[in-house]
Amino acid sequence: MTGALTWARLSYRQQMWELLLVVLGVAGVTAGMLWFANTLTAMRAVNPECLAGIGGGFLGVPMEEGPAAACQAIIGQYYETESLASQLLNVAWAAPFGMGVILGAPLVAREIDGGTAPLAWSLSRSRMGWLLRRIAYVALFGLALLAVMAVASELLAAAILPDRTLDEDFTWFGRRGLLVAARGVGAIMLGVLVGAIIGRVLPAVLASAFVIALVFIGLSLAQDQLNQSQATLLRRDLESAQRPDVEVTGLAVAYGIETIDGEFVSYNEAFDRGLEPNYSGVGGKVYESEADIAAGRFIGHDAFLVIPGERYPELVLRDSVFAVFLGLTALAAAGVVVVRRRPA
Amino acid sequence: MSDTDVVLSARELAKLYRRGVRALAGIDLDIPAGGITALVGPNAAGKSTLLKTWVGFERPSRGSVRVAGIDPWKDRSAALAHLGYVPQSPVLYDGLTVEDHLDLARQLRPGFDRDYARARLAQLDIPADRGGRDLSGGQQAQVALALALGTRAPILLLDEPLASLDPLARREFLQVLTDAVRGDGATALLSSHIVTDVEQACDRLVVLGVGRVLLHDSVATALADHGIVTGRSDSAVSTFPGPDGAPISLVRGPGERPATLDEVVLGYLASGRLTPAAAA
Repeated sequence: MTGALTWARLSYRQQMWELLLVVLGVAGVTAGMLWFANTLTAMRAVNPECLAGIGGGFLGVPMEEGPAAACQAIIGQYYETESLASQLLNVAWAAPFGMGVILGAPLVAREIDGGTAPLAWSLSRSRMGWLLRRIAYVALFGLALLAVMAVASELLAAAILPDRTLDEDFTWFGRRGLLVAARGVGAIMLGVLVGAIIGRVLPAVLASAFVIALVFIGLSLAQDQLNQSQATLLRRDLESAQRPDVEVTGLAVAYGIETIDGEFVSYNEAFDRGLEPNYSGVGGKVYESEADIAAGRFIGHDAFLVIPGERYPELVLRDSVFAVFLGLTALAAAGVVVVRRRPA
Repeated sequence: MSDTDVVLSARELAKLYRRGVRALAGIDLDIPAGGITALVGPNAAGKSTLLKTWVGFERPSRGSVRVAGIDPWKDRSAALAHLGYVPQSPVLYDGLTVEDHLDLARQLRPGFDRDYARARLAQLDIPADRGGRDLSGGQQAQVALALALGTRAPILLLDEPLASLDPLARREFLQVLTDAVRGDGATALLSSHIVTDVEQACDRLVVLGVGRVLLHDSVATALADHGIVTGRSDSAVSTFPGPDGAPISLVRGPGERPATLDEVVLGYLASGRLTPAAAA
């Protein structure tokens, strides 16, 4: 236990400024989230008659006659507050990647760049053991911070959409909850790997931002492909004012048309095939021209591929496992680099 | 010298860096147990590369090295267990105090003797609560030495720790090293290009030039076996400029006067420069 505390203290002192920076950042964002959550909840409580059913911007209940004049200012103020609050959820999306750049990249790079690696690597009989201990506390600390932010982001999301069951809802997918912390594992380890390869702090920080972005874009594309293969095909009616629940709470992975043969093709694929889905009509039917509308010749229906909201927990877990696996792979690669490379 | 007496060895050791830079050119060397051996040579002679190869920081391009009979590239952990290492221009952690460095060493190296290292530093009045980078160069070197000594490793490798120190700091450093090695019965290999310091502290001498071992002997024998003659001599080890610029020659045997250790080293370095292998 004493040894663990000693390592924690030494790890903190070796990366004090980066750790303070992320603590301040996370504390600020988390405090902001909690403040906005509290503010939005309080606004609703004070003005229930105006704000009932309002929330999530366009997701409010339809008002055929529009809000009462007395409510307009209150609703406007509410949406303004909600809009600012939503920006914090975007910060929660970016935070894990920032952690990777700020905490991960300098971790080994500074040892090599600053010339302390020969000291540490000659004292430690196992460089892999050194790396694991060097990473452990910084990564745990970063993850703890992300976990706090993940919880705060859930609270904020619940405050913005109080009438929705967010456990079965893809709204702000990846911007709240477990996935925020899990992506942190991947990003921090990728940062460590880049830092170990480059061995210079500033270039490692810059390169890690690029690599982390690239890897997570790649991962996201792969997950999109997987999602498409598992998604449900649903027609949609663009002319209807009411969106079906599944479109609101589900994860739409592709938009396009369902051809008259029953096949789903994205809009781009449709154009590639020589179809021209230019006009939408009643019942979601898609036409190529006004003449076709007049003649009733439609080429298919507006449709989309969607993963229903009920599968939200499953996808969060799956994507979290991907992110953690990516992190462990990067850690193993960083271990190989550290074991094989020169200390300076 | 029997194999059991040898704690550090190199066999046909060559190291070629990228772009064809040759640091070591087929070295055979055995360092016996006990005492301090000076590894002397000019810049780019391959001293650091040789030490780093024993620590496992550099992989030989050809040949092999052994630390207490262990190949550090095959079993780094076992080899490092026998080694304490003081890096070139010792660099300490910016955010850590001296005491933190001792804690770090204790965490990294099982059996690290923190009290022993702490006592060494206390003798030199190095404040334990001072930040590593706030210390003078001499103090930083002393901390690095204390960390190496605290491992209680039987073999110490010191990579030009004296290079950036003032004369007093050098003398203090060597005093601590000498006391520790003689007291513990350890073996130290100290690379340096400052021959005068080496003469006082070291028992043996290895002269390394252009990646080759030019001389390996005890300091006493090196001094006893060499002399200086004025001008050029056909039987000389080499001829090189004397203190007044006039040529003098290092010869085996008494010569006109005894050679100083500095002259022995210079003579062998000059001989290394002249050999066809070196020219190649």
